[in-house]
Amino acid sequence: MPLPANNRQSGGWKAILFRHETVLLLVLALEWFYFNAVGPRFGSLDNMYDILRHSVEIGLLALVMTPIILTGGIDLSVGSLLGLCAILFGKLCRDAGLSPAMAGVCTLGIGALAGGLNATLITSLRLPPLIVTLGTYSLFRGLAEAITRGADTFTNFPASFLFWGQERWLGVPAQAPVFVAVAAGVWLLVHRTTFGRSFRAIGFSPEGARYAGLPVERRLALVYVLAGIVAALAAILYTARLGQARADAGTGYELYAITAVVLGGTSIFGGVGSVPGTLLGVAAVAVLHNGLVHARQPREVAGMLTGALLLLALAGSVVPKMLTARRVRRQTSPSNLQPTETA
Amino acid sequence: MKRHFREVSIAVALGLLLLFLAVAAPTFYQPQPLLSLLAREAPALVVACGIALVIIGREIDISVGSQFSVCSVCAGLLASMHWPPALVLTASIAVGALMGTVNGALVAGLRLPSIVVTLATMVTWREGLRWLRQGVWVDLPDGVQWFGLSQAAGQWTLILLALLVLVMMALAMKHLSAGRFVYAVGSDAEAARLAGVRPQLITFLTFVWMGALVGLAAMMNVTQSPQVDPNSGTGLELKVIAAAVVGGVAISGGRGNLWGVFVGLLLLACVSPALTHLHIEAYWEKAIQGAIILLAVVADGLRSRKEKR
Amino acid sequence: MKKLFVLLAVAALGIVTGCSRSTEPSAGDRKKLLVALLPKSKGNAYFISCKKGADRAARELGIELIFDGPTDPDPAKQNEIVENWITLGVDVIAAACENKEGISTALRKARAKGVKVITYDADALPDAREFFVNQATAQGIGYALMDEAARLCGNEGEFAIITGSLTAANQIEWRKYVEERRAAQYPKMKLVDVRPCDDLKDKAQSEATALLGAYPNIKLIMSTTSLGVPGAAEAIKQAGKTGQVKNIGLGLPNENKRYVHEGVTDSVILWKTEDLGYLTVYAADALVKGTLAPGAKSLQAGSLGEFQIQGDNIMLGKPFIFNKNNIDQFDF
Repeated sequence: MPLPANNRQSGGWKAILFRHETVLLLVLALEWFYFNAVGPRFGSLDNMYDILRHSVEIGLLALVMTPIILTGGIDLSVGSLLGLCAILFGKLCRDAGLSPAMAGVCTLGIGALAGGLNATLITSLRLPPLIVTLGTYSLFRGLAEAITRGADTFTNFPASFLFWGQERWLGVPAQAPVFVAVAAGVWLLVHRTTFGRSFRAIGFSPEGARYAGLPVERRLALVYVLAGIVAALAAILYTARLGQARADAGTGYELYAITAVVLGGTSIFGGVGSVPGTLLGVAAVAVLHNGLVHARQPREVAGMLTGALLLLALAGSVVPKMLTARRVRRQTSPSNLQPTETA
Repeated sequence: MKRHFREVSIAVALGLLLLFLAVAAPTFYQPQPLLSLLAREAPALVVACGIALVIIGREIDISVGSQFSVCSVCAGLLASMHWPPALVLTASIAVGALMGTVNGALVAGLRLPSIVVTLATMVTWREGLRWLRQGVWVDLPDGVQWFGLSQAAGQWTLILLALLVLVMMALAMKHLSAGRFVYAVGSDAEAARLAGVRPQLITFLTFVWMGALVGLAAMMNVTQSPQVDPNSGTGLELKVIAAAVVGGVAISGGRGNLWGVFVGLLLLACVSPALTHLHIEAYWEKAIQGAIILLAVVADGLRSRKEKR
Repeated sequence: MKKLFVLLAVAALGIVTGCSRSTEPSAGDRKKLLVALLPKSKGNAYFISCKKGADRAARELGIELIFDGPTDPDPAKQNEIVENWITLGVDVIAAACENKEGISTALRKARAKGVKVITYDADALPDAREFFVNQATAQGIGYALMDEAARLCGNEGEFAIITGSLTAANQIEWRKYVEERRAAQYPKMKLVDVRPCDDLKDKAQSEATALLGAYPNIKLIMSTTSLGVPGAAEAIKQAGKTGQVKNIGLGLPNENKRYVHEGVTDSVILWKTEDLGYLTVYAADALVKGTLAPGAKSLQAGSLGEFQIQGDNIMLGKPFIFNKNNIDQFDF
């Protein structure tokens, strides 16, 4: 999106101000000030840890959704896959007698396979990701319900496993290092490797990327399989946090993840986006939901405000471009172009 | 035949399913339950027609479920205040169209991606309704159910109304310029614009039309029982999008017709009662529906792969 | 560099403001007791009517009441709300548990932090709470449903169950007791199917229609969710089988009055939900004040009088059967 020449002056502070991440940071700051004012316990360390622990699973899904949306795709099945992996993990621990560590490794493998199913259908059959993952969204959840007959749940995990979801490690919630590690990994992948550059290229134009010699299918397969693995990881952490695995775990998480990613400035059309933006998006929504409890507002308000925030964020990213485009059109319209006077 | 391969193949699939049921579970074929089943699916058919048009125009609308809930409650409240049914119907359609206008303005006017816009409006309306109503049902006065007609007459009215919408829209999409424009915009908006079509206006109108249809469908649902459940729209968006996809509407826009959507809706709607009549446990329902969607999608992919060679 | 500067500036501002607020008044400074009431989900008329009773009790006792619950079906959401309340510094949490084992994790944590915990309507694990305000034991509910079903069917015949969802723990438990009672007392009654309606009235109607068709000899439909009874009633009415197929279940009187008077629904079993909310808040108050402690045998609850305590269950009473003789006396 090249800016016309006579707009160079606005390249400075305006560009920064209208950068998505900055706006989001301002939103976060606003939320912070407001909730601190109305809720005395909001700013406490305990609450910060609450926010962190409650947003880890969605944060993981949002992180791995970022490269997918960068390539112009989408994955609606991650929430259902979380549920499926959670109950399979529980089943491996309880019925197959595996230790949580072994069961965890197997579950990650299952996640990879499930992601591989999405990847195969999307890459080898060139099917639209929205539709494929809509189908697997139903399929994975349906399998989870069928395997458990709806009713079966898995509990009684050993304390050493529950530690990961419920206890603190060196003073921070145990999930935090895992989340930070994945966040760092995804950030590296997207922003510092050629893989990441290829994601953007594919998002801009898959055909163009193909002509440029990029192995488009392999890269796409990578992101969807990665999504499967991370969804499985999120499932394990979820089970540790809750102490229970159920077939309906993770219901609706994919939409939260997409909300966070889009809030963070990643374009749903592909090609534009950032991992820090996604993290800010996750933070903005998590702080909003948490803060509203401290402000004694009912949960419905959180939902409505999230919807409004999403719309504002979208409009906010588009309106400056529209204003610029309008200004350019006006400046370059024939009636405005005066022939230069000759003395 | 090749052009309508998809519609024919799912019609065949539905036919096979019905044949199978005739043999394995003949209890499925009783007139009154079947009539009830069709009457209950009639509102969904109306919504499915609308969403097919939106998808053909290369957009999507996942807020239809929340819109349906809002329109149902509005219609119910007005009916309980003894407004005449015709006025209630108009009001319901108007409320739906209003919500559709919001979606349309954001998508067409501000050029925002429809999946995110409708995600936002879905959450906003759903939570807003819940906040206002707190889940309380609306009791309807007598005379609202079945528009005051007898049950059989009412059910047939609803079924015929849905079929009327289907036929009218199918014809309009084929023969009216406005209909062809949606296909054009869905295939290639830039080319359409150069050809003199106004893509943004067309997109805007498809969303408004979608909302109006949802309002109609909500009223059709309200007249089927004497109480309105504010959660009645839950899961509707998934149902109708799946029906459209199974029915051959391409998510990339520009392709598909309503007959396929009709058959797709019937196919998916039969899964649950089929399981009951076959005495199969209920927890297979979602897995089977997901499998049908995937099969339809894979079949699409395989066919277009063969064509490309 | 400019970008970094802006980011740092805003972050610093935020942290400064945030930290300056960390010295907050502790729970002891607050005048009123803060009781947090957790329903299974919001937007459920059953819990709304519990809230009415709870509000009344809160007014009488001078307690501040928070009522909030999950608006979407993910099981972790109840835990998150409980954890938020712990940080908020509530005095008592009264929870209706969607997820017995899962919520216990959060409730145990609350107890460890000094928050009093009671449950109502649907219990958690016993070590996660001090008392359970039980409207009726799961056994009582299951037996009452089965007894009523058998009575209406003449002790023999086929029946089906419509449940809210296949995963709801308390409904699973009620079904278990229904089956136990059936096997012990009514071997000639046969349960042919269990179908979930996802807590949607319209889906319950569709499921009931299918059941009526698939099992031509069915004599009764039993619903373990309040969404099921009116849905099934409408289905039976539309199938023209009023009187031929009986309809009972757990449900609120207001939603079923119409069908009871039309003779489609025979009886609706419930309890006084407002009383449940009222008793829960009184129990919460007594727990904090110390008048309710382990080993207590009874509890005085305002205008409702005295309630028996069995072990750690505060008993509201027996399930109440609403039928056409008495349903008009109630408004909830």
